[in-house]
Amino acid sequence: MRLEIDWTRCDGHGLCARLLPERISLDPDGFPVIGDARLDPVADAELLRPARAAAAACPVLALRVERTRPHA
Amino acid sequence: MSALAASGTAPGGTTGTVRAWGTARLLAGTGSRRRVDLARHRSVHAPLRSYDAAGLAEAAEAVRLLGRGGAAFPVAVKLRSVAPGPRAQVLVNGSEGEPASGKDRALLRLVPHLVLDGAVLVARALGTGRVTVAVSDAEAHASLDAALHERPDRGSFRLQRHDHGFVGGEVRALARAVSGGPALPPGRRVLPTVQGVDGDPTFASNAETFAQLALLAELGPAAYASVGCAEEPGTTLVTLLGDVPHAGVVEVPTGLPLRALLGEGTGPVLVGGYHGTWLADPSDLVLSRPALRAAGVSLGAAVLARLPHDTCALGEASAVAHWLASESAGQCGPCVFGLPALAAGLDDLARGGDAVACLRSRAAPLPGRGACAHPDGAARFVASALEVLAATGELEVHRRQGQCGRPLRYTLPVVAR
Ligand code: SF4
Ligand code: SF4
Repeated sequence: MRLEIDWTRCDGHGLCARLLPERISLDPDGFPVIGDARLDPVADAELLRPARAAAAACPVLALRVERTRPHA
Repeated sequence: MSALAASGTAPGGTTGTVRAWGTARLLAGTGSRRRVDLARHRSVHAPLRSYDAAGLAEAAEAVRLLGRGGAAFPVAVKLRSVAPGPRAQVLVNGSEGEPASGKDRALLRLVPHLVLDGAVLVARALGTGRVTVAVSDAEAHASLDAALHERPDRGSFRLQRHDHGFVGGEVRALARAVSGGPALPPGRRVLPTVQGVDGDPTFASNAETFAQLALLAELGPAAYASVGCAEEPGTTLVTLLGDVPHAGVVEVPTGLPLRALLGEGTGPVLVGGYHGTWLADPSDLVLSRPALRAAGVSLGAAVLARLPHDTCALGEASAVAHWLASESAGQCGPCVFGLPALAAGLDDLARGGDAVACLRSRAAPLPGRGACAHPDGAARFVASALEVLAATGELEVHRRQGQCGRPLRYTLPVVAR
């Protein structure tokens, strides 16, 4: 699974960085920087819950936990 | 534009010189800039073999054909990922929003039928009759319009002129625009092959890709691959500008040393265009998308520019960075705030600032943080410019003197339209 941001929606509330500091920090303008987008169901098991919580808390539904990422 | 127009290489206004070195394939029949009408086209090119989708993909794979728009995606893979049938659509992207590039408009102005033949070839292979051709250059549009009037199969085509700028020519933005939506890249990662024009599965590619497919179907894979290098056979179009022996659009066999195209100058070289990479010395590289990629460089829009020594190199980079910032579609925070910060950072260095590390750290997190690859390209442009201008001592001169004493000549044009 992966953390994905719809950048056309994200307006830099920064909530996600507070809820998932293990993976998300903020740039100087307050927009999230994802350190490592991959969420391995086994290795990152303890992060899945906070990741989903962060996605649910995003006020504009910009942050998502996606199954896989199709190639661009 | 004015500086470029004066030197006769402005891709935006005229196509400048357009010529083939060695085998003229795409440009066959265009001697002394002559537009090839249907009668002449039919006399220059043999009829095309027809293919089904699987056969065309196989032929494209045999010659390792890569998309000519910038992403250099394998054409065979793209063909295989479009579900064939009457719902399928074909989108010819002739936008060429890259101000330094003139190759696609040269092609559309001079040999429109070759591009249209390629589009029909793909449409037939996919079992559809729905082709959209999108173009922004007025002369290219007129050339296509005249070409369609000559063709018995014109009923398959929809020709659209648009002026959506650099990002609006990005294929997903364009697919949305020709479907009646906004010319903006969608926020979610939809693929045009699955959900393209009108939401239908769409084979979308750059104008030159279609012309190459027409040549492939004319010649067959073996003859097609008889020129050029093994990893990317055939010819390719390149736009050359700046301190180069022959500025303008050239068709050349792949595999040539970049030296052969760029000449003996020693100024820094920009490979790929405004989403491209600056190199201090590209002399050991050859013109082949796979070889360049292996060297960490993308041929992008196939622009090769060498800065002359009488222009302010940092000013050139800064002018392009400002242009890139102004072309942001304004949708995504990191792009909206990050790109102007990069441009301002370059200005600061030009005036004698020393915040190089800070500017690098602004560029570093940009890639991947937008709905399209615009921030990625801008970050690559600025980061590689910093590297090269540091190596050439340019940054140091500006830091000491607050200028370099050379005027900004806009060798790199920043007004496309
Ligand atoms: S919470 Fe949502 S809107 Fe806020 S920064 Fe994170 S992704 Fe962007
Ligand atoms: S990344 Fe920039 S150019 Fe691309 S869609 Fe977002 S705002 Fe527009």
